Amino acid sequence: MADSDSDYIASSGDEAPKSKSNKTGKRGKRAGREKPRERWEEIQRAWDLGLEDDNIESTISELLEAGKKRRLLKDETPLQRGIIRHLVLILDLSVAMAEKDLRPTRYLLSLRYACDFVREFFEQNPISQMAVVGMRDGIAIRISDMGGNPQTHVDAIQKLRLDDPDGSPSLQNALEMARGALFHTPSHGTREVVIIYGALWSADPGDIHTTIRSLVADKIRVAVVGLAAQVSICKELVRITNAGDTSSYTVALNEVHFREKLLEATTPPVTRTQKMSANGLLMMGFPSRIVERTASLCACHSQMNKGGYLCSRCGTKVCQLPCECPACGLTLILSTHLARSYHHLFPLKNWLEVSWTEARRSTHCFSCQSAFPPPPAAALKDTPDAERQPAKTGSSTSISSRYKCPDCGMHFCVDCDVFCHEILYNCPGCQSLGDEKPARTTRGKKRARELSEGGAGAPPPPPPPAPPEPEPMVID
Amino acid sequence: MDKVDASAHYQGVTEDKPSLLVVVLDTNPFAWQSLHSELPLQTALSHILLFLNAHLSFSHANRVAVIASHTKSATFLYPNSAAAAETAETSVDLYRDANKYRLFASIERQVQSSMQRLLSSTAPESLAGTNETTMAGALSLALAYINRVCNADNLSDSGEGSGGGARPGEARADTASMTARILVVSVSGDLANQYVSVMNSIFAAQRQRVPIDICKIAGDTVFLQQASDSTNGIYMQLQHPSALLQYLLSCFMSDPSTRHHLIPPSQINVDFRAACFCHKRVVDIGFVCSICLSIFCSPPPGAICTTCNTKLDVSALGNYGGKPAVVLMKKKKIKKAKKVLNDSAADSSTPGTPVA
Ligand SMILES: [Zn+2]
Ligand SMILES: [Zn+2]
Ligand SMILES: [Zn+2]
Ligand SMILES: [Zn+2]
Ligand SMILES: [Zn+2]
Ligand SMILES: [Zn+2]
Repeated sequence: MADSDSDYIASSGDEAPKSKSNKTGKRGKRAGREKPRERWEEIQRAWDLGLEDDNIESTISELLEAGKKRRLLKDETPLQRGIIRHLVLILDLSVAMAEKDLRPTRYLLSLRYACDFVREFFEQNPISQMAVVGMRDGIAIRISDMGGNPQTHVDAIQKLRLDDPDGSPSLQNALEMARGALFHTPSHGTREVVIIYGALWSADPGDIHTTIRSLVADKIRVAVVGLAAQVSICKELVRITNAGDTSSYTVALNEVHFREKLLEATTPPVTRTQKMSANGLLMMGFPSRIVERTASLCACHSQMNKGGYLCSRCGTKVCQLPCECPACGLTLILSTHLARSYHHLFPLKNWLEVSWTEARRSTHCFSCQSAFPPPPAAALKDTPDAERQPAKTGSSTSISSRYKCPDCGMHFCVDCDVFCHEILYNCPGCQSLGDEKPARTTRGKKRARELSEGGAGAPPPPPPPAPPEPEPMVID
Repeated sequence: MDKVDASAHYQGVTEDKPSLLVVVLDTNPFAWQSLHSELPLQTALSHILLFLNAHLSFSHANRVAVIASHTKSATFLYPNSAAAAETAETSVDLYRDANKYRLFASIERQVQSSMQRLLSSTAPESLAGTNETTMAGALSLALAYINRVCNADNLSDSGEGSGGGARPGEARADTASMTARILVVSVSGDLANQYVSVMNSIFAAQRQRVPIDICKIAGDTVFLQQASDSTNGIYMQLQHPSALLQYLLSCFMSDPSTRHHLIPPSQINVDFRAACFCHKRVVDIGFVCSICLSIFCSPPPGAICTTCNTKLDVSALGNYGGKPAVVLMKKKKIKKAKKVLNDSAADSSTPGTPVA
């Protein structure tokens, strides 16, 4: 609290330009792990970087590379990802969001953080679903439907950027719409509402207390992040729907605090009923989608529709996933939702810098075919690395602009390094140079292979892994 | 009345973004051998080259890349630095042929020569009884190449602006200088061994908004269906493989921006099965560790998850192999229900279906 207080004063005191405030969000996350640094310490000055006149160009390209290379540390604590949550994110799109106390405006900032929220939510809860609802002009507007694809939600939120916030918010209308969206969700998952609320008033058509009571009846819990000041009805709403606990109602002090508090809602809530065991083995079906010539009734809503999913165990037709088979009780999910989290299980190793002496082996990036800078003539003669030996960790830049995968030994450029570690989560080299590389064989996989060799219908044991070859053409 | 204001039609013309087409060609020799009577590999390759030429003819800024997904390796056929160097030596020939656009000739030459090299370097004994293809590697290469070509230019300036922990390559999809798509020409099946990496590639494509089109000539692959479904790509199972070029030109020609105005063919039924982590078997019912979401085809021995080493609570499994829950009829309906049951006791349908 004290830390964020001082942060707040700092940010409101100085006349920081717009671009600077954009960075605070990025910094804030890292600052939590390192020792706290004052803001003025973070300014990089040109004279600190040792710019020399003769090789300004190379220094600039190095700086660019360092900027690309900077990435957040990932924590590897085991999360429980098998929880099915259903969440409605309610965004305030009223005139109160036009305020500029959070830069650039409350509106744009909350849209950006809402996108972050969506991504983070699906990272942490891969088999969950969410919907987005907006409050504008006294009514609730539907922004995106209940679904499990983060991209559709992000696209829908991005589209709002073109509009301007307008009118009054209506808490009651939005809550009723959220209740409607959560009505059909199965009982074994959680039902949650997260509200970003910028206004200090609410224009409601009826008694909001009736709505709150029906939320409790539907077992929906609400969390609110306020942007202006504490509002009594929000506190009341959170207290009643969370069984007396008001910890999920906060008012953001500044941009960083806002983001923190919003993303807190992505971690699964403590279940009040202890029915769901912490580490269980769940039996799940992965049904395939079918399209029928004639409409038939689905077992979940008894509605006529042409297509849906057939339960993998009993063949009952359901119209949406995830759900519990109404006939046999099997949990049915889309396997692609599970697979979304698998990059956490087999993380890609950090790639290493390549010294000039080794760099001669490659002329092109293995994955994108872009040319590397040729080794300087000096590097061919002796060991020139001594003077500019890079730091040992993978966070620094490589002097030869090449990065090497420790497993397959291929050289990659910095763009591919960042892309592979943050979006692809595969090493193109390891994937392209034979099927059984030690790269992805984690401890678990190895054991699985031992098991499979003993198993009955198991495939023949794989050939011994090929040694890492410099040329992709060499097979075996 | 007769006057037609045609000016409006021309004002709305926006500048089209150039488009990058990456063709992933499955070069599994076994599969092509079995297709030989209908569509030899050489013919397929020439069809694909024609298709590439057609794509390049749309705009001078359009680009192509060809990646071979071989049995044990994936490699670039075009652009290929080694083949480029080779052609550069003999580039005199390129100017000779006055009837051929030079870019077409150079692509054809590079693809042919690197294809030749790939096939001649394949030792017969390394192929023993394999029907797999390194699709994960080929897709990874394709995505990294696309990322480079489409996004690398504006990576430096928008990286700071997006801020707030946004990752590279997303908010930027609108500002990318090119649109891109991947076309997979697939002849063999069985990607179960590469399940995790193939799925990772699919999600990367989804985030980059790169559609993966599947041109399925033979074989059966579960995961390629999922690839085209989750990236909004086209899926086409060829009825007549010998007419490959016609399929390519009529179904796969439109670029992502054009597809908004068309109704492209896509598969109707999607196979969403997954591969188990223990035996790489494709399953439709699996046991899922609730901590790490690993899929097993049977409860792991000792009830310890082999991926995350957690002791699992098997009792939560409850009714493993359980029976369908039979919903009891309401009392007043019993008479009616009984009558129906007597009439057709044998063919009674799903338990719990209300009889009316
Ligand atoms: Zn239904
Ligand atoms: Zn069922
Ligand atoms: Zn690269
Ligand atoms: Zn590697
Ligand atoms: Zn298995
Ligand atoms: Zn596990």
